[in-house]
Amino acid sequence: MKRIICTSNAPAAAGPYSQAVEAGGILFVSGQVALDPATGKLIEGDIREQTEQVLRNIGAILEAAGYTYRDVVKSTVFLSNIQDFKTMNEVYSKFYPSEQPARVALAVKDLPLGALVEIEAIAIKSK
Amino acid sequence: MNRLFVWILVSAVFFSSCNTQVKKQDSPLRRVITLENTPVSRPYSPAVEVGNMLYVSGQIALDPATGKLIEGGFEEQARQTLSNLKTVIEKAGYKLEDVVRCTVLLTDINNYAPMNRIYMEYFPSDPPARMAFAVRDLPMGALIEIDAIAAKK
Repeated sequence: MKRIICTSNAPAAAGPYSQAVEAGGILFVSGQVALDPATGKLIEGDIREQTEQVLRNIGAILEAAGYTYRDVVKSTVFLSNIQDFKTMNEVYSKFYPSEQPARVALAVKDLPLGALVEIEAIAIKSK
Repeated sequence: MNRLFVWILVSAVFFSSCNTQVKKQDSPLRRVITLENTPVSRPYSPAVEVGNMLYVSGQIALDPATGKLIEGGFEEQARQTLSNLKTVIEKAGYKLEDVVRCTVLLTDINNYAPMNRIYMEYFPSDPPARMAFAVRDLPMGALIEIDAIAAKK
């Protein structure tokens, strides 16, 4: 049985996907880019601001599903530019200060809507 | 009527306590896997285990001793990457045979054939499900990155 997560605290999906889907105690959060939940548009800002917005969007979706950042077990970070790796890490570590999830990071050719960073997450509630 | 009420009460208590127990069992344990040489500057764990599933971070050809990318071409990097993957998996108490899925990221799709040859040395039979593709760039100038999900038998 799957549960579709939908919250106005995070940007509406920019295409035919759900913000997150939960099934079998696992929450799959769609790749988030730095959309402003209010306007649905990519925020103006550099990699630091975009990473912050992306992680806030993920936080809002986690919360709507009844999860927290601490439940994230694995995340994938897609950058438009590998030179942004260090700055992204600095922001990322503020949201995941300890016992961080496993992660994969890479630079891709292009991201939707001209975003600099996209992050997806898998969360599982645990003791 | 009274007996019916008692029966409802008893079954309500029974089923609610049963549900609580099921919930507790459903909530698996989380364990963060670390290595002695895990760089603290990196905001991710080498692997996270939840229940009997292990989520392993993308590995690149870092020298475990120095934390720097090894010198060498693609084949050396591929072997070091798989060796690092094996180290994390075994530190968590799993084996390479427990891996159910991998993602292989290459910076050059022309390295697909040599990658497969080396990959088969580590996964000689019943290999995991996999996806592979070429990316624009990998962290630290690596030529290959591999992540994995493993499940304990």
